[in-house]
Amino acid sequence: MATDTLKSTTGAGGASGGLRRLLLDNGALTALIVLVIAMSALSGDFLTTDNLLNVGVQAAVTAILAFGVTFVIVSAGIDLSVGSVAALSATVLAWSATSAGVPVFLAVLLAIATGIVCGLVNGILISYGKLPPFIATLAMLSVARGLSLVISEGSPIAFPDSVSHLGDTLGGWLPVPVLVMVVMGLIAAFVLGRTYIGRSMYAIGGNEEAARLSGLRVKKQKLAIYAFSGVFAAVAGVVLAARLSSAQPQAADGYELDAIAAVVIGGASLAGGTGKASGTLIGALILAVLRNGLNLLNVSAFWQQVVIGVVIALAVLFDTLRRKAGATPVAGASGGGKGKQAATYGLAAVVTVAIVGATSFLHTGSSAASSPKMGLSLSTLNNPFFVQIRAGAQAEAEKRGVDLTVTDAQNDASQQANQLQNFTSSGLGAIIVNPVDSDAASNSVKAADQAKIPVIAVDRGVNKASVDALVASDNVAGGELAAKTIAGKLGGKGKIVILQGQAGTSAARERAQGFANGLKAFPGIQVVAQQPADFDRTKGLDVMSNLLQAHPDVQGVIAANDEMALGAIKALGSKAGKSVSVVGFDGTPDGLKAVEGGTLYASVAQQPSQLGKIAVDNALRALKGEKVEETVKVPVKVVTKENVAGFSG
Amino acid sequence: MSNADELLRIEGIRKTFPGVVALDGVDFDLRRGEVHVLLGENGAGKSTLIKMLSGAYTPDAGRILVGGEETRIQGAQDSERLGIATIYQEFNLVPDLTVAENIFLGRQPRRLGMIDRKKMEADAEVLLKRVGVSVSPRARVRELGIARLQMVEIAKALSLDARVLIMDEPTAVLTSEEVDKLFAIVRTLREDGVGIVFITHHLEEIAALGDRVTVIRDGKSVGQVPATTPEDELVRLMVGRSIEQQYPRERADRGAALLTVEQLTRDGVFHDVSFEVHAGEVVGIAGLVGAGRTEVVRAVFGADSYDKGTVKVSGAPVAKYDVNAAMTAGIGLVPEDRKGQGLVLDASVEENLGLVTLRSATRGGLVDLKGQREAAGRIAGQLGVRMAGLGQHVRTLSGGNQQKVVIGKWLLADTKVLILDEPTRGIDVGAKVEIYQLVNELTAAGAAVLMISSDLPEVLGMSDRVLVMAQGRIAGELSADEATQDAVMALAVSNPSTDKEASRGH
Repeated sequence: MATDTLKSTTGAGGASGGLRRLLLDNGALTALIVLVIAMSALSGDFLTTDNLLNVGVQAAVTAILAFGVTFVIVSAGIDLSVGSVAALSATVLAWSATSAGVPVFLAVLLAIATGIVCGLVNGILISYGKLPPFIATLAMLSVARGLSLVISEGSPIAFPDSVSHLGDTLGGWLPVPVLVMVVMGLIAAFVLGRTYIGRSMYAIGGNEEAARLSGLRVKKQKLAIYAFSGVFAAVAGVVLAARLSSAQPQAADGYELDAIAAVVIGGASLAGGTGKASGTLIGALILAVLRNGLNLLNVSAFWQQVVIGVVIALAVLFDTLRRKAGATPVAGASGGGKGKQAATYGLAAVVTVAIVGATSFLHTGSSAASSPKMGLSLSTLNNPFFVQIRAGAQAEAEKRGVDLTVTDAQNDASQQANQLQNFTSSGLGAIIVNPVDSDAASNSVKAADQAKIPVIAVDRGVNKASVDALVASDNVAGGELAAKTIAGKLGGKGKIVILQGQAGTSAARERAQGFANGLKAFPGIQVVAQQPADFDRTKGLDVMSNLLQAHPDVQGVIAANDEMALGAIKALGSKAGKSVSVVGFDGTPDGLKAVEGGTLYASVAQQPSQLGKIAVDNALRALKGEKVEETVKVPVKVVTKENVAGFSG
Repeated sequence: MSNADELLRIEGIRKTFPGVVALDGVDFDLRRGEVHVLLGENGAGKSTLIKMLSGAYTPDAGRILVGGEETRIQGAQDSERLGIATIYQEFNLVPDLTVAENIFLGRQPRRLGMIDRKKMEADAEVLLKRVGVSVSPRARVRELGIARLQMVEIAKALSLDARVLIMDEPTAVLTSEEVDKLFAIVRTLREDGVGIVFITHHLEEIAALGDRVTVIRDGKSVGQVPATTPEDELVRLMVGRSIEQQYPRERADRGAALLTVEQLTRDGVFHDVSFEVHAGEVVGIAGLVGAGRTEVVRAVFGADSYDKGTVKVSGAPVAKYDVNAAMTAGIGLVPEDRKGQGLVLDASVEENLGLVTLRSATRGGLVDLKGQREAAGRIAGQLGVRMAGLGQHVRTLSGGNQQKVVIGKWLLADTKVLILDEPTRGIDVGAKVEIYQLVNELTAAGAAVLMISSDLPEVLGMSDRVLVMAQGRIAGELSADEATQDAVMALAVSNPSTDKEASRGH
């Protein structure tokens, strides 16, 4: 039976030979089509004009970055710096237009110039410094990211309104980012296909020495190639910031890898010499369709990453197989080759559908049509605190019969914007958002407001847009409590260090504010150092180890969350809980365990599962049109060894 | 099958690739203790055939028998197990490992899980002695010259206890002295009972070394003859027609000096190199590998720098270390390493032909693609490049056609001084003659040609004057009449530096 079907498939292929040829010539396109078909079959919300435009918008930044990277990869180089350069360019634009008062038009030029300069520096290091492209651009990745943090002082800068229109829609439906993507794509295709520099890219990538001996000025061309990549990165950065109405110093973190993936999925070889703008666009669309579809299908955030990785590998794998197998039929080989090929494609489709289906099935269970639907977009799930918010929310949702979709923005404001957009377009009853950044979430929340979908913010607020309720712990009050606790422990006198949270988040700002307020009452407490450790345990360990070198006599540590506190305790070793007292924040299970064990003196406990629970409760009320409080403060408490037993998590 | 001496038998092998039938009915057999020469033009299918034996390809049809038993060779491990070792034209050595490590790569003798370096190096020493090469087992392969690399490859094959040794054009890159040495080793191996499949384009080597010859043409074995067969007959079998003249040089009228090189010196590499090439003239540069010939012409072309001296074209000096200045002056270089330096292998014929003229075909940043295509089509037709179309990737062309593409890109740029570095290396007889005809056309049109070649008959047959280099200096100049193999070799092995150095009183 199976062989029969295969034969008939190939027979039909002969009839529609043109289409088959097209698909064979472009494996990535086939993969995209298979994905789109799979997604539309699995989710009714996928194949709508609104949602497809969403996909376009979400692909835009990656695609524009990837067009630039295509130039570099075709010429057998690599550019790891594009994400950072995008953030730097956007920051330069926002900073010069707002803080420095430069006219917006000039600020835009400055942003583009920033991209060019970064690219030129890459090019000079590679051409004249003879650094491998990987190293030169890795250095630029760090430098550009650092500079954007320096310029912005770590906080997001509001984007000038006139430029923010780049994130809007034309005529109420056509999103400008999609338009920019198309225009940049056409430019990239034109450059690659028609211009001297474009043809040089292929020659240099194919055989640099042959190109040089044929009179191509390889070194100068490379400067231009990396500068081109810089320009595209700058444009991508501006589009990204316009979408969020804010230039984020941490924006586009890790996007270089997405861009490289898009280029490679699109059929380019990292060895150079091949690659097309159209392929890159398809690559970027594949990534966007995946993320969008998996959101719509309510696939667990963790599984999404697995699926995306698998699909990247499959897409490139099938492209390689296709190139190997695709050549055989031309030689007039037997039908076996064709059958094998058809089988390959069939397999690709089946595997993709199976994975997507299985993962969604795994986590939706049966989706009853009658229950109210809600979305919860968390800033990250890489931290137990947020995992507990999710647990509380999911428990409450189950109890109340709510179909809750949870997504993980991985601390990336634009990914969160995409997820919120997906929530809005799939017509959920209510949205709960835990913003990565309070400013950056505003545009997406406004869109949800327009669609009359109630929005509840949890843990962190949203600026410049109305949410129905903010469910949060009182961070400032908690910060004050932490300061009082450590001062009390040290008897009002001593040297302490403060580990701050991730720059740019409201929780970090508010807690820092609370620490400062609380310490005002204790002039005997000397803060010898304040350093950010990004709410991260590993960074907490590293930063604390470094600080201990400079201040071995420190007596107390205040960390803006338990994760950093636990990292600091590792760094302190046997000193923790004895000569040095550590106070954390959040009251996570690990933190409470450390309190019990005596290494952590105290934690200002939030009740994350309560946050999740109350957020769902408020969302339900808002959905039903009941009145909700504008701010719901969930109390915080200092947990020490004495009362830890009462906080089992 | 009853023949106990038979090591290998191939019957009716067929192999197809996209758009090409590479092999269609090839029969071949190899006996213990013989040198069986595989002869054929490039693209005839010799490489495909040996790749079947080394496991790189599997045949679509036909049988392979090893020691009388039918086998399938699916990969390198299979062929290794069957005692078949292959030495390719491109060596399979890891440059940054030592000689001993390369010989025993993947099979290093071990003791307690650690590599037993002492034993490995001692074993390597024995093998190296057997092939008669004096190189330390601890030397890095990167530091070795091409002839020694080949000896290391042979030592590696011996370490595998190979009963069948396949050598793909082993002499193409060797000087005649090195060739003699190689032949001595091959003869010893033959006496030891090893069966050797020997691929060469040099007909004179067949009589010197071979026992039997199998000729392959267009993917078919067209005949098996004894090695004593006259060369004319071999050529006729190989190309399917007789080639009247191997070196059809037609002298053109000698014009003014086009290229003048004066006192060109790069410290430690070449010294005081001076010569002229006139319009309508072919000047050959002969010498041993390592005499500095390639280095000199690369410096003339601006691909590398030099310390002293001048290069002039038609009397006007050319800036040093500047390929573009040399190109503008009208110099073109067809480099020694065709694939590595001459071609963008995965680009089309059209793109490769248009590479040199890319800049001049650009207006306001835009390339005149249509004009480029027309020009490429015209020159490809003129050169008789055999291809499926201008869009074909040059990787899939045969060596001779690839070389025509490299030469073609310079013809498009109206090159006045064309430098050919080993223009016919690895190219079959038919295509060689076509390239010689091209040289004739160029000189007839008033261009100057400077040709490096390690193939002595070629230098003697095609040059109007021969410069012989030795140890980085011009050891002497011979007119076409004076130039004989002996005269050239005498100069090539001379030591031109000693007396001059002494007279300068350094």
